[in-house]
Amino acid sequence: MDSRKILIVDDNADIRLGMHLRLKANQYQTFFAADAFSGVAEARKHRPDLIILDLGLPAGDGFTVMERLSQIPVLAVIPIIVVSARDGLGNQKRAYAAGAKAFLQKPVNDDELLAVIRQALGEPAGMKKPTLYDQGSV
Amino acid sequence: MKEKTLQVLVIEDNAGDVRLLREMFSGEKPGSFELTHLMRMSEAEIHLAKGGVDITLLDMGLPDGHGIDTVRRAHAAAPGVPLIILTGLDDEALAADAMTQGAQDYMIKGQIESRALPRALRHAIERHRMQAETDLIRTHQMQFKDEFLSHVSHELRSPLTAVRQFVTILLDGLPGEMNPEQRQYLEIVLRNVKQLHSMINDLFEVSGVQTGKLKVEPQCTSAPDAIAYAVNTLQGAAVLKGIILSADIEPKLPSVCADPARLRQILIILVDNAIKFTPPNGTVTIQARIFDEDPSSLVLEVSDSGCGIEPDKIGRIFERLFQASDTSAVHTGLGLGLYICKDLVTRQGGKIWAHSAQGEGAVFSATIPIFSLPKMIAPAFSEERQVELPITLVVTELGSQTGWLSDQIRADQCQGMRDLLRGCLHSDLDVLLPRTDSAGPVELFFVVAITDGIGGEAICKRIGKKLGSSEHLRLADLTHSTSYRSLEACRRESIESKEDFLERVATSIQELMNDEISSRQVKNG
Repeated sequence: MDSRKILIVDDNADIRLGMHLRLKANQYQTFFAADAFSGVAEARKHRPDLIILDLGLPAGDGFTVMERLSQIPVLAVIPIIVVSARDGLGNQKRAYAAGAKAFLQKPVNDDELLAVIRQALGEPAGMKKPTLYDQGSV
Repeated sequence: MKEKTLQVLVIEDNAGDVRLLREMFSGEKPGSFELTHLMRMSEAEIHLAKGGVDITLLDMGLPDGHGIDTVRRAHAAAPGVPLIILTGLDDEALAADAMTQGAQDYMIKGQIESRALPRALRHAIERHRMQAETDLIRTHQMQFKDEFLSHVSHELRSPLTAVRQFVTILLDGLPGEMNPEQRQYLEIVLRNVKQLHSMINDLFEVSGVQTGKLKVEPQCTSAPDAIAYAVNTLQGAAVLKGIILSADIEPKLPSVCADPARLRQILIILVDNAIKFTPPNGTVTIQARIFDEDPSSLVLEVSDSGCGIEPDKIGRIFERLFQASDTSAVHTGLGLGLYICKDLVTRQGGKIWAHSAQGEGAVFSATIPIFSLPKMIAPAFSEERQVELPITLVVTELGSQTGWLSDQIRADQCQGMRDLLRGCLHSDLDVLLPRTDSAGPVELFFVVAITDGIGGEAICKRIGKKLGSSEHLRLADLTHSTSYRSLEACRRESIESKEDFLERVATSIQELMNDEISSRQVKNG
């Protein structure tokens, strides 16, 4: 099976690189966008299997991206995982209402992120490569 | 400058008293006061609600209202309007009591000097205005502080995410293996990152504490499980410091009524604190037992062999930002933990306190109510309803199109669902039971209603309609269905005490609930 494609939309370059390293180690292919506008453009170009989306972005925000994607039938079906430093409740509700599959709060636990990705892609949980040092956050 | 005419509402049923009051204003400049006189509380409520009244003079003995209740009603109809009580000599105590219910002042009839009344009114209005202004400023300040805290914790999270990501990437050996020493140092980094993360969460939580936004969802849960979780989580930190962390739990403890995540949080804060203030080679012990002073609660105790708390500080340790300024202890917190802890305990119906003799360690105790179905359904079985009672168990099932609800969705939706359900119930006849730990593919909500099959049907319809129109459930792709089951009519036997009766009814209800839960688990394998 070809490796699944994941688009990472986050304006923080360090976080993009960190996610890329972790996802690559788990056999995912990654693409990037650093603002809301190119988020939609890259999604159009690469047709990813999944999008990891930050909420606070230049040129719009995560909600703008979700709204635009939802208007394009071929892109509307791509599962979206929102990963944001914004506070839970309100944004979480809004993200789900906008069609997000999951909402994770930064700083993200990589184990959790991988589990949510697998769930959203319909992959069995068993194929997970364990991350030894990132379990639990007290 | 022309002074504004002050609109005075006089609520008084004695025409003679009203005439006297009017005369007291006769010395005032024309147009400075305008008196409106009403005899009944019901009329006054309508008048007040319309607005435009600057001050109310209220007699507490009216044809349709009496005593402190009239004060509450007047205050409720127009909370922003200052209120002065008119009272006879004999009920001065009552008038003083009225001051605590929102009245600005009281005046004793027959002792009011004619010139004094208009002046008293002006003062009352001015005082009330200043109070309102101060309250508004305070509200704004609190709001600003909460927004600030929320903003700061948000800004800190992003860089912390990157730090954590790369540390774990290195530790997991993604770019290649490290030598043991490098690994050890990075583990120290990670430990500190986690600590920083928890401090940021504290900051964020505390802005939630202030505005009451912290989510607490009580359910029937096990205290020993929460203790085991806390011990496992903090064992590492204890070992590093050479502290022996252990739990001493009384066997066969009953379940408690608490939010499991919040219960774990309470214990973690207390144990973490204890480890922090205990020197190497000390001990930290968690105990759980039924509370001697109130057998309807469990008491959880975290005791340590640390430096103890000075007597003059023990009353203040649950205050926000309080730090026991002990020079021997390294401060590693914001002084928010115990404050959050107290809020969480109190909001789950418990109490928290500390006890310490300096130099002999400290003991933190928190009580948590024991889960009791009989006690929960008691409000529906009031003393007046003693004949045969029809009882119906209404079950609402929340599911998803995929057939399985994730924990995340459960956590997100439960509170909202409970609010929606509450809106469909009669508060004195129906009881929405706390969450059950069904662990099945769906989330179940149970309502015990004092009604027969026809009533049960009606509740189901109401709930179905309300949930059906919920945009939120539709958008989240959630499904719902509501059904009911009737219990046999329950009659309280003449020899049976109310406690025994409730116990018996609760047992039948519990059986039905278990039945509903297990049927879902079987159905979905």
